[in-house]
Amino acid sequence: MNMAKKIMQKNQLADLVNAVKNQYDVYAPVETEDCNIQFQKVANAEKIRMDYLNTTSPPKEILFPRTEVLFEYEFTTADDGKREPKLIPPEIPDKDMLIFAIRPCDARSFMYLDNFFNWGKFKDDLYLSKKEKLLLVGMGCNSPRQTCFCTSLDGHPFGKDNLDVFMVDLGETLMLEALTDKGKKFMGKLSFLKDASEADIAKAKELSEKAENAIKVKVDVSHTKGIIDDEFYNEVWNEIAETCIGCGSCSFLCPTCHCFDVVDEMDYENNRGRRVRLWDTCQSTLFTLHTSGHNPRTERKQRCRQRISHKFCYYPENYDLVGCVGCGRCIIACPVNNDTRKIIESINAVAKKKEMEAEIVE
Amino acid sequence: MTIQSTSEEITSAVKDAVKKLFDEGKVDLVIGYTDGTMPLRAQPLFMYNKEEVDQFKWNNLGYINIAKYALQERTKKVGDEDADLKVGIVAKGCVGRAINHLIVENQIKRENVVIIGFPCNGMVDINKIEKDLGQKEALEVALDGDNLVVKGNGFEKAYPIAENVSSVCKVCKLRSPPVTDVMVMEANNLPLDDSFSDIEEYNKKTPEEKWDETIHMLHDCIRCYSCRQACPMCYCNLCFVDQNKPIWFSKSHNMKDIFTFHLVRTIHMAGRCVSCGACTAVCPMNIDLNFITRKLQELSKRRFDFVSGMDQETQPPLADFKMSDAEEFMLGGE
Repeated sequence: MNMAKKIMQKNQLADLVNAVKNQYDVYAPVETEDCNIQFQKVANAEKIRMDYLNTTSPPKEILFPRTEVLFEYEFTTADDGKREPKLIPPEIPDKDMLIFAIRPCDARSFMYLDNFFNWGKFKDDLYLSKKEKLLLVGMGCNSPRQTCFCTSLDGHPFGKDNLDVFMVDLGETLMLEALTDKGKKFMGKLSFLKDASEADIAKAKELSEKAENAIKVKVDVSHTKGIIDDEFYNEVWNEIAETCIGCGSCSFLCPTCHCFDVVDEMDYENNRGRRVRLWDTCQSTLFTLHTSGHNPRTERKQRCRQRISHKFCYYPENYDLVGCVGCGRCIIACPVNNDTRKIIESINAVAKKKEMEAEIVE
Repeated sequence: MTIQSTSEEITSAVKDAVKKLFDEGKVDLVIGYTDGTMPLRAQPLFMYNKEEVDQFKWNNLGYINIAKYALQERTKKVGDEDADLKVGIVAKGCVGRAINHLIVENQIKRENVVIIGFPCNGMVDINKIEKDLGQKEALEVALDGDNLVVKGNGFEKAYPIAENVSSVCKVCKLRSPPVTDVMVMEANNLPLDDSFSDIEEYNKKTPEEKWDETIHMLHDCIRCYSCRQACPMCYCNLCFVDQNKPIWFSKSHNMKDIFTFHLVRTIHMAGRCVSCGACTAVCPMNIDLNFITRKLQELSKRRFDFVSGMDQETQPPLADFKMSDAEEFMLGGE
């Protein structure tokens, strides 16, 4: 008997949602009309899909939406005819937020976003106020995709990093385990949980090993940072950028990409306006266009180099962590199949080639 | 002949033709297709010498319109921006049409491209197959006769290509490029007529129904502009969506602006779209964007008897004026 690990039937999902929906807005994997799986706010368990590979777009949009109002303003005319601006702060949901059945790689991605939005003096209040309310209930990845490479990046298909509760899909049942105090409180609300048996725990272990072995691809990122540092002008970047059409799908669908644009939108007719932030991508020319008219990244090659360098060189430099969780969304989404794993391989090959040349000289 | 054997024949015939071009020194670079790194994908392939030609493969999945590559800086010699490369392009019908049209619009120099035409036998609609697979993952995909056989964990399914061909290919009449420098095998084009069977149903709808259908279609759009990036006809230095002096429309995510973007994109395609379907194929949200431009192709054929990319001289109808142009629309036509 293990007291910490609990079991529920899958058909009790409705009870689970009911038990927590007063406290939490529940986001769960749901199939859209276009056959995409996405995290959506659910009021009941009807549409929740537990047998999914991973969502098409990453869950970052729950804390960091594609379009987010930073503030609104409105002009009012006072009695003496003076126009007074009035600031309307952004709406922050009252309820706590729960992401249910998130994959371990995506759960890790919030660590990366936290690093960025909580960095140094510049705290992003809007993001952090939502993050505070967030509870992550993860689910082990029973069948990783062939494009998955989380194990190359300190992740694991059954990894528990950054989660409050960890679940394992045992077929008919789900096994739950609280990892934080928040998670314990959440599980405390679920009166129908039963203790997990030794057989359940053994099965979970077996599934975890099976999943780990299913990930065949190993991407070696241990030296990539140093190589990118040294090889800024290497010809390899031409090869990497050759087929890229600059659509930016890779960065939009990346769970750790966090760049945004800030624009003001005026509604002159109604004397009001708002400032919004939107997802942006380093793959667009406009991304680095300066007010002066100068643009340091006019070429596709420079923009491709930026994306890879940010993930595998600058991010580790700033936060001591490689900026990729290995979810493989960029590989699946790329319309020209410019495979990130191959890109890393070709960068690593530059160093190997140099080593060999040095040996020949000696 | 099955699809598989035709594709194999295309692959070997193209390889021979490209190798010959390299031998004769007629090309510096040839752009074609090869297998992807995962099932149900093809990659554009850049071949700089004869040895690299062996990687070429036509696997009926090459949905990127590689004419787009002839437009860009990649066709310049590395380190010498003034020197053009002589670029060979392995062209199916829609790629050939795109090259023609880009020559008409002065975006490609005729003397810089070598059009290596082949008789395309259709692209598989991967969106359709991926939708059908749902949350099952394809691990192995191969052509087998007239089927595409998809294998995964605990399943194997044969998709007849005739039924799973991309919607643009279903109604395609120009399967081989209208103008070629080298043609491998025999062209398989069909006579052009006014039949647009795929949008008959759409035409029967009332304006309100058409409006609702379009809004519904575009609902999932995330405005990543992949459709613009993949489109061989989109080559503006600064797209109107990116302009901020003036701001034509809001950048935030709402239906009004999503619709505005698609409306303007579509209008720019009138009489220019070559129906390659790249926009639909690259859409990360699986929206059938080509369906919208398809209606405009019908209009340009019926009104102006114009089909884009048929030759390298004729101006598209909206860039040209003829006394015989129909003008019933002025009086409140369709």
